[in-house]
Amino acid sequence: MRKRQWTGMWITLLAVVLVLSACGGKSAGTNNDSASSESGSGTSASTTLTIAAATDIESFDPHNNNNTSSEAVLVNVFDYLIKNDSEQKKVPGLATSWEQVNDTTWRFKLREGVTFHNGDPFTSADVKYTLERVAKDNTLKQNSYFKNIVEVKAVDEYTVDIITDGPDPLLLNRLSKMGAGILPAKYIEDNGFDSFLKQPVGTGPYKFSKWAKDDRVELVKNENYFDGEPKWDEVVFRVIPEASTRVSELLAGGVDIAASIPSTDIARIEGEADKKIVKAPIQRVLQLIFRQTEGSVTADPKVREAIDLAIDKQGIVDSIAGGAGIVTRTSVTPGNFGADPSLYKTSLYDQEKAKQLLQEAGYAEGEAEMTISVSSQYKEPAEVVAAMLEQVGFKINLDVLEPSAFSERYSSKSFKEIFMIGIGNSLFDASNNYNRYMLEEAKGESDYNNPEVEKLLQSALVNMDPASREKEYQQVQQIFAEDRPAVYLYQMEGVYGTDNRVNFEPRSDEMFYADEITPAQ
Amino acid sequence: MGKYVLRSLLQVIPVLFIVSLIVFILVRVTGDPVALMLPETATAEDRVVLTQALGLDQPLFTQYMKFLGSALQGDFGQSFRYGEPALQLVLERLPASFELAVAAMFFAIVMAVPLGVASAVKRNTFTDLIISGISVIGKAMPNFWMGIMLILLFSVMWGVLPVSGRGGVSHLILPAFTLGVGLAAQMTRLIRSSMLEILSQDYIRTARSKGLGRMVVIGKHAFRNGLIPVVTIMSLQFTSLIGGTLITETVFSWPGLGQLLVVAVNTHDMAIVQAAVFVIAFIVVVTNILTDVAYRLLDPRIKYD
Repeated sequence: MRKRQWTGMWITLLAVVLVLSACGGKSAGTNNDSASSESGSGTSASTTLTIAAATDIESFDPHNNNNTSSEAVLVNVFDYLIKNDSEQKKVPGLATSWEQVNDTTWRFKLREGVTFHNGDPFTSADVKYTLERVAKDNTLKQNSYFKNIVEVKAVDEYTVDIITDGPDPLLLNRLSKMGAGILPAKYIEDNGFDSFLKQPVGTGPYKFSKWAKDDRVELVKNENYFDGEPKWDEVVFRVIPEASTRVSELLAGGVDIAASIPSTDIARIEGEADKKIVKAPIQRVLQLIFRQTEGSVTADPKVREAIDLAIDKQGIVDSIAGGAGIVTRTSVTPGNFGADPSLYKTSLYDQEKAKQLLQEAGYAEGEAEMTISVSSQYKEPAEVVAAMLEQVGFKINLDVLEPSAFSERYSSKSFKEIFMIGIGNSLFDASNNYNRYMLEEAKGESDYNNPEVEKLLQSALVNMDPASREKEYQQVQQIFAEDRPAVYLYQMEGVYGTDNRVNFEPRSDEMFYADEITPAQ
Repeated sequence: MGKYVLRSLLQVIPVLFIVSLIVFILVRVTGDPVALMLPETATAEDRVVLTQALGLDQPLFTQYMKFLGSALQGDFGQSFRYGEPALQLVLERLPASFELAVAAMFFAIVMAVPLGVASAVKRNTFTDLIISGISVIGKAMPNFWMGIMLILLFSVMWGVLPVSGRGGVSHLILPAFTLGVGLAAQMTRLIRSSMLEILSQDYIRTARSKGLGRMVVIGKHAFRNGLIPVVTIMSLQFTSLIGGTLITETVFSWPGLGQLLVVAVNTHDMAIVQAAVFVIAFIVVVTNILTDVAYRLLDPRIKYD
């Protein structure tokens, strides 16, 4: 009798589990089917593309998002007026042509005959609504990129004028990045923003289908896409935070592409016959930024030079980054406006000279004491840097901070002599790298003060002539290479594992444009 | 009994109040969400605007009173990251965690009950030795390591089970097993010692001398009483399964409460951290009350006044 009761309890438990899991994943079940048919050694070309990333999107509001992995997904749903091709050249998107009317006005001709996923036609009213929303609502995370737009004028149904509060050489860059994805004005006005977020609608090649938070985003083909029929029937973005799980998922054939492969797993993937590793430089340069306040050890240019010479950058790339990095003496890397290629793919390393410089600066062995603050994500390269600096006679206190603690110290500008950070550049323009060294911004952080640089940077900020503006930034780079307000370690590379059933060439902006990824024949 | 339950429920209120206060203060002294939310080009002025918009410029006390006022109406604020009500986001994840916890518990019971009873009944034999050995290993094995090993074996090498994500029953097996093993090991040892103690009691000897069958003595007399401490452990473990599946959920990309909490802590999403901890605390307290009730049902000698 008793025994039967217990058996009953187990069966009940089992039933509960089955019921619960059945409610859990209807669509995941279908995904499973497609995954297994894919792994069945490619009888026909698969029509589902599955990509695994480490972090989820934040929302389908392109204005209130501030992470690259969100944009990487959203670019498939929302179109920009201007697109960056894979080499960061501006090409037509929803705008077919554009011209500068005067210093503060740009005119855009819009593409005709484009419809949103709900069938509404795309017109200048949508551009006005989209850009004015992000420009005016200062609680949106993308507002700081767009707030210099004072008005968007709908000249006619397919022409808009974008007016800025002053000359803005970066307007085109702004219009081709997150925050500029065109939203459907009428749909949002009719249904409200909350319903838009639940059932987002754009003009892009893929339509929203489902978002299970921290699990997956599912998109389906937009058959009416203006630029021809999209390549995949379905695109699935999976969220797999744990790197080893992401790698396993790739090895097991559950995903076609896995992003952010740790250097320790590269060999494992390369060892598989049907998988490979692809890499591309990304917009992030790992660097040490110095405090130059009076009395700080790092205020002495000789000390900064000694630091630069003491670090074997290529050695760090080879050992810590698994080869996924490119040494550089500038943070404005090729593909960005204002880059100076002569400072790229090169680095200085001379321990003997570093020792000598430290002596000239008046420090005996172990006397030059400095604190390097770093977020725990860069702990390993920071440890190696510290060891290299100690070899030439510095005394280093390594201050490894949990990421949110690092962010807080970063925004409150309370680091000591050095902080180590990987800085990205979503605008693909040198201004993004240098604004922090302008007098006002540098106050309290680096306290960098160089009148010549200040003049160049102020001028470049509003210079509407690209050729002379580029020169200004190149000049700044040459000065920085000698003056060293920062020492650049290397440009990071994005490391992806892919299955041979797809052809994927990673982009430097880390976007996943599904239609640039093709099934292997 | 009814009075007891009522009084316990009233005690829940101060507990939850204290939990909310502690979490509230902790998330506010450990970092600045504004810094994580804004892009790298944001100016000091942008930070001020956002800080004000989020109400983070006000004194801690004012913020807490505001939080408490809305929390009493079931509003735990908006998630910074998702821009949606935090409580709703937490409750959305609960089924996933609950599913995993129940499945893990199921695995644990299925493994632990027969093993525990067998090793008690056959104490100091080879069987006992083997079972004890297994349970020591099971308990010592770290969850994440075991999860990764299971993935390598069952998914990567043999391809019989999916690696990660939430879907049908097949997605549930590996994470539930991973979570269940440690629990099973603990329960096995507990059932063993509890059964051993009871098997040496007078009433068992009496039952045996009455000529009752072996199965009846063990099954009816000993097992039921041996279960009391096990129920305690089970309930404690169940609550930790709900709240503390962080590692397992992360390894298997299981979109439950644990994973939500990990991401929320990393992105400093205060509202979610507060709501999640509050919900976990609520579940713990309620489970404890249910445990007490279960005690009484199993052993009528336990009295409440």
